Amino acid sequence: MTRYAFWRGQRERFAGEATRAAGTDAHLAADALEHADALFNLACYLTANSSEAEDLVQETYARAYSAGALFRGGSVKAWLFQILRNAFIDAYRRAKVHAVATDLEVWEGGSETGHGAFDLATGQMRALVASDLEKALRSLSDDARTTILLDVEGLREGEIAQVLGCAAGTVKSRLARARRLLRLKLKDYAR
Amino acid sequence: MDCTTVRERLAGFGASIESSLETSTLEHLRSCSSCRDCQAIEMETDDLLSARLPHFQAPPRLKECLQASFSPTLARVPGRPTSRKPIGRWLVPVVSAALSAVIVWGVLRAPGRGEDDTLWSEAVSDHLRVISSSHPVEIESGGIHQVKPWFTGRLDFAPRISFSGDDDFPLVGGSVGYFLDRKAAVLVFKCRLHTITLLVFPNERLPWPASSSVRFGTTDGIAREWRGFNVLAWKRADLGFALVSDVNRADLVKLATRIAEP
Repeated sequence: MTRYAFWRGQRERFAGEATRAAGTDAHLAADALEHADALFNLACYLTANSSEAEDLVQETYARAYSAGALFRGGSVKAWLFQILRNAFIDAYRRAKVHAVATDLEVWEGGSETGHGAFDLATGQMRALVASDLEKALRSLSDDARTTILLDVEGLREGEIAQVLGCAAGTVKSRLARARRLLRLKLKDYAR
Repeated sequence: MDCTTVRERLAGFGASIESSLETSTLEHLRSCSSCRDCQAIEMETDDLLSARLPHFQAPPRLKECLQASFSPTLARVPGRPTSRKPIGRWLVPVVSAALSAVIVWGVLRAPGRGEDDTLWSEAVSDHLRVISSSHPVEIESGGIHQVKPWFTGRLDFAPRISFSGDDDFPLVGGSVGYFLDRKAAVLVFKCRLHTITLLVFPNERLPWPASSSVRFGTTDGIAREWRGFNVLAWKRADLGFALVSDVNRADLVKLATRIAEP
């Protein structure tokens, strides 16, 4: 049984959420649907399974539309990412897969912001291919991976903080550590 | 400005790194060759991520399903015909159910039924997740004084509960869940062989029903039956509380009274 099998069994609920779209602001709905690709991309990196990623995106939209009235303005994209991340964590907790994001402290604890002898040289980085990058990114913790992907998606510091549920002031250091860890992982693939 | 601070600021600016940095950081970079090397590495990382990281596109069938299910145009026009294209494993039941639901929308939203169902639906869904999970709690109860501290740092609010369970309603434990778009404390009680889920969440901006239907102690609450489950919800200051179970309403009120007592 996959983590999202429970959701798949909840078609009735999903359809119920769909009906609430009728009460959701039309502009919000249109905006939200534009971000399906970005949400699916993050979902793929979180779940490592395209079928589960689809379920996660569906759940995200179901939650977003049922809570549409609660949207406080600002970035719809950041709001959707926040819901997706919460849904992902929620599903993990419910499935009791304990690895979820709790290795955050592993990458939060160290002083990993420094660059030095352990870092990857720029020449080595240029030789890396897409599959190396993908594998290295997948090997990071959920939070480190999410931080990097949100930055790649162009979210601002405050928006990333909103998604991660952390203080805006810590986003920079989290991002720096995540990227440093990514480079450390990439060393395994450097030729 | 020290090197550590500068290096933190170098991460994640992409092509706009120069224009994004403040003067003090740029001055430091001019005088520190080590940080300039770091800048080069960060810019190379940006190039790598933007140019070579695979970006997964949502499959067309997923987009079609989302469009069909959540498009405001479709949802606002009951009876609108939909095209029947080759579809994925869930599109047929979802679209069918959505259209059926839209048709009955007017009935459900008739005068007198104008109350938003979001709270009840979410509370029951959360309760279903608890009872369907093989491990419904993350912290086993040794009493509320063990469970409450466990939430510290896991929630952005303090769940104000002092009831630690008793013979009628033993506290099983707690976990962190999500209620709509916000974190919630999930506490699980037992009542004979039944499971009762208590959700505690910030009530800001929730579509809370205006009228109360039940009074216990000094608290006014709202009781509803939803999908066969009894739900009892109430507010205290900025927190919302929802009890959900298949036990009868009287038992829920009894437990709510004990929980709501200061």
